[in-house]
Amino acid sequence: MSEKRLFGSLFKRDHIVRYISFSTIIILVTAFQSMQGNFLGKSNLTNLLRDTAPLMIMAVGMTSVLILGSIDLSAGAICSIANVVFVKILNDYAGAPNAGQMILLAFALAIALGLLAGFLMGIVHVKLKVPSFIASLGFMSVWQSVAYLISNRPVSVPKAMWVAVDWFKISWGVFGLPLIIAAAIAVILYMLQTRMAFGRALFAIGGNERAARIAGIGVDRTKILTFTVNGACAALGGLFLAAKARSGSPTVGADFTVLIVASCALGGTALSGGKGSTLGTILGVFTVSLIRNGMNFIGVSAYWQDVVFGLFLLGAIALSVDRSKRGLAVK
Amino acid sequence: MDSRTPLFTAKDIVKSFSGTQALKGVHLEVYPGEIVGLVGENGAGKSTLLKIIIGAEQPTSGKMTMHGREYAPRNPMDANKEGIGMVFQEQSLIVNLNVAQNIFFGHEKDFRRHGFVNWKRMNREAQDALDDVEVVGIPPRKKVFDLNFATRQMVEIAKVIRVTKGSDSEHCLILLDEPTSVLNEGEVLNLFAQMRKLTAKGHSVVFVSHRLDEVLDICDRIYVYKDGESVGTVDAKQASEKLLYEMMVGRSTTSEYYRLEKQKKPAKEVVLEVEDLGVHGVFKGVNFALHRGEILGLCGVVGSGKEEICSVLCGDINQTRGAIKLRGKEVRFRSPEHALRSGILMIPKERHYEGIVAMLSVENNTALSNLRKLSKLGYIPMKKVAKQADQWIGRLRIKTSGRKALLMSLSGGNQQKVVFSRALASKSDVLILNHPTRGVDVGAREEIYDIIRDLVADGKSVILLGDTLDECIGMSTRVIVLKDGLMTGEFEAGVENKPSQVDVVSLMM
Amino acid sequence: MANPSRLAADRSIMEEFAERVRRSNRNERIMKVAPVGVLIALMLVFTLLCGGNFASLKNLSSLMKQFAIPMVVALGLTFVIMLGSIDLSINGTVGMAGSLMGVFVMNNMFPQMNMGVGAVALAVLASAVVGLLVGLVHVYLRIPSFMSSFAFMYICQGIAKLSYQGKPPTIHDPLFVALSKTDFLLIPFITWMAMLMFVICFLIQEYTAFGRHIYAVGTNEAIPKAVGVNVNRVKIKVFTLAGILFGVAGVLGAIRLGQGQVGIGEDRMFPAQAAVVVGGTSLSGGKGGVVNTLVGVLIMTVLQNGLILLSVNPYVRSGIEGLIILVAVILTVPHGKQVVSK
Repeated sequence: MSEKRLFGSLFKRDHIVRYISFSTIIILVTAFQSMQGNFLGKSNLTNLLRDTAPLMIMAVGMTSVLILGSIDLSAGAICSIANVVFVKILNDYAGAPNAGQMILLAFALAIALGLLAGFLMGIVHVKLKVPSFIASLGFMSVWQSVAYLISNRPVSVPKAMWVAVDWFKISWGVFGLPLIIAAAIAVILYMLQTRMAFGRALFAIGGNERAARIAGIGVDRTKILTFTVNGACAALGGLFLAAKARSGSPTVGADFTVLIVASCALGGTALSGGKGSTLGTILGVFTVSLIRNGMNFIGVSAYWQDVVFGLFLLGAIALSVDRSKRGLAVK
Repeated sequence: MDSRTPLFTAKDIVKSFSGTQALKGVHLEVYPGEIVGLVGENGAGKSTLLKIIIGAEQPTSGKMTMHGREYAPRNPMDANKEGIGMVFQEQSLIVNLNVAQNIFFGHEKDFRRHGFVNWKRMNREAQDALDDVEVVGIPPRKKVFDLNFATRQMVEIAKVIRVTKGSDSEHCLILLDEPTSVLNEGEVLNLFAQMRKLTAKGHSVVFVSHRLDEVLDICDRIYVYKDGESVGTVDAKQASEKLLYEMMVGRSTTSEYYRLEKQKKPAKEVVLEVEDLGVHGVFKGVNFALHRGEILGLCGVVGSGKEEICSVLCGDINQTRGAIKLRGKEVRFRSPEHALRSGILMIPKERHYEGIVAMLSVENNTALSNLRKLSKLGYIPMKKVAKQADQWIGRLRIKTSGRKALLMSLSGGNQQKVVFSRALASKSDVLILNHPTRGVDVGAREEIYDIIRDLVADGKSVILLGDTLDECIGMSTRVIVLKDGLMTGEFEAGVENKPSQVDVVSLMM
Repeated sequence: MANPSRLAADRSIMEEFAERVRRSNRNERIMKVAPVGVLIALMLVFTLLCGGNFASLKNLSSLMKQFAIPMVVALGLTFVIMLGSIDLSINGTVGMAGSLMGVFVMNNMFPQMNMGVGAVALAVLASAVVGLLVGLVHVYLRIPSFMSSFAFMYICQGIAKLSYQGKPPTIHDPLFVALSKTDFLLIPFITWMAMLMFVICFLIQEYTAFGRHIYAVGTNEAIPKAVGVNVNRVKIKVFTLAGILFGVAGVLGAIRLGQGQVGIGEDRMFPAQAAVVVGGTSLSGGKGGVVNTLVGVLIMTVLQNGLILLSVNPYVRSGIEGLIILVAVILTVPHGKQVVSK
């Protein structure tokens, strides 16, 4: 009897976060539109949508990690490394005869670094049994150092190489290319999570890792793969940010970590694992972006932003934690 | 040593968990200065009764008295106040604190002076406590970490005596749950000497153990429990192991219950072979061969090593010695996934902790061991998953609102059936069934026996850890007995010549 | 009695088991002494490499100053880690305390403020409240500690920034200005405070029931619970105590800097984290203590000092901290297969 009641309340709570996020979006959009008439105007809307692209890529990568029940706090630092490496190569080879090839190399290298960082994180967590939050904390510090070593201050992309970043501006109506790419990645990951064996394994591990292991699921493999993909997504985010700003900075990703986690949480991904979806994360990303952009738009002091995000995060966490996981000690 | 009024009595104790009755109305009486033994098979109810006496569980009905007064503890501290203490099977000392701090753990406020704890006084009183049980050579300031198990046990006993001494009662009742499993011969003798010293002072002990030779040695009287009932009491001087075995075993259940008519002789082909298998400190020297179509039962008490053997075979832990041969080829499993790919899968014992993913649906749970086979280049067609789930819901008659129902909404028995579906869907050649009918109601149990018989007839092989001795003997075609990490016997269990429970039990204890 | 040959084989399984326990105990003992060895080795290495620059009175004084605030932060973190939890809010809480201190004491930005010592009390109280909230959220909402403290880091950082609205106040209160320059017996004031905090924490850890209970809860919650210890209360008290210590660290930071601003909290967490782990307090809880942390902080301080003297790139230095955390945790994490780490 009590099982059914528990089951019923869980089902409701499963979607309550998404309802709240959705309502928040509607409320905020209406509010901002009424305060400053051209909020929904073409130019502002295009910018708004384009701005969400980097966050969206990074957040959909993180979603899988959170479904596992882990976290990767180094995502922001990986983003920064990819960002500065990309810009550095562009600068080093500006005007060179093989510039075109080097641009491709820059893209490839940045993503490769993300894959490597994610892979290392996976190995340390899975094979060396270090809890993910402390491992990612350690890596965050290391990668941040590496980013500084590559480039210790913001550097612009030289005009000669703007071809490497101009694609960021392409758009059809209000929908920019970056957003479409980000959304496509989100959809691909969604397919992975729902239609592929990898996704089944993901949710099983997040739901009950011990049971998944005994049932014969390749727990280690799935975890390492998840962290690796997350690394690549973080790196992609860094590339997007480089294209958006037409410059690279070693601290560009630092502020994103909380935004990434908040986006996932506001999209209904339970931070205790076992539940979540990249489609929900898209919703969360829009909510977060709206809050952020909107606050800037109406001139809310930047100092309030940290507090507001912290509170939102706290609220989302409280709502999406799965308390039906009895008997597991919370540390 | 006896006086006519008992120190402690328990009458008609009943304990029901959802669906099952662990205790069906048991009795226990302990006189001052007595050592009372409590023996019985797994599941006879011994641990449950101890937990009720110490207040860690509440009885569904029944009455207890201590010192002639009504006794109904709500928690272990109430029990301590009345003079009852227990040394649990799992060590309950905090290893990074010292002896004195452990003895008085939770009672520090008795030693408080201006907010700080007076360690000098606590150490002195700890020394007193150790002297009380006549334990020498343990400085109260030593960290428990540095003590061996026998010494730790002494500290636990000292702790229990001390805490119960703080109560108003003159005499205490000490409950010992399998205390000798971590002790060597010399240490056991030492423990017995301590126990006799305690009883000389008028305290009493309840001694639960599966080592009947020890029980007969140290106890004055012995209670035998079976299936949640008290079978009877014997005077230790007049009892023998044989008598105890006979009292302990249950009635053999009818052959239809275990579907004996479906039991067939296994083929000659050897599917799995185990040579000199051992895990350091847990079990060693295990040898057997599993044939196609065979149900091999492993019998033994908790701690005999049977669970760990299964963990090794299914790939969860690695053996430290010996070899596993699958169809003649030696294998060493890196993980349960590796074992599954080689065709071995285990249905685990603790459904909630390691069997089901409660937040996933029936269809998703059913597919967990089958992902490889269901997928085409990694892609899993939803239709296949749905079809598979519906198939098994039908075949195993799983009561559920549908394949999309979350597993947490199903009853225990039906959850177990889902776990079975998952195992069967994987089409593994060797299935290790670890207490497959645990927490399952009678009707579902018989269905599960049918399932097991059918899958073996299909050419699969099973290693079975039965929920009861009867089940193990009834279902298996061959039985291996384990005690304290070693193989002690092997019996053929064909339809016509099943070994008696007494025969098997005598090798388990 | 029983079959003698059976008993003989029996014994050997027992012996195997006892041997396994003995071996793991031996490793534990080595791990306990290792940090001191590392500290001594480091000091020797840097003396060799930097000679007079390292082993001079001037550098010693500098070391003592550098040691103070990380020590206080690490003390707070130690108790949390002994529980088996973690507190990621450090940067925020310390920054908040420092900022509040700057704002409420006599300063140049907010001339109407002059709370003197009251500002200290306020700053520490605010951090205590944050610690209390982190603990409450963790215990009663059953949110893992890293999550609940993570959220509060941002909230605190925001409060810090809000308190001075972009205009970091410079401290003018003569008492605090003087304290930042005063040495008693050649030891800077803030170092004295750090040592005082150490002594207090040591007393709490070793001489109160609360201290013993922390070890118990960190080892295995079920045991203290069965004896009637209020495990939830222990946890909440630990987080609150950590909050207080972070507050003190923030106040000391403001005094040292002469200014109140959120940057006082910057880069506080990694060195503290590294210090605690390197000192030997295991992340799984129930082990270690403030003396371990003392050694750990000394190691980190000496290391940073030495690296600065060797002119190592500042960005590399913080990366080294991260590497140390990784290596130290890898070495001390339990390697049983049953560990499910997330």
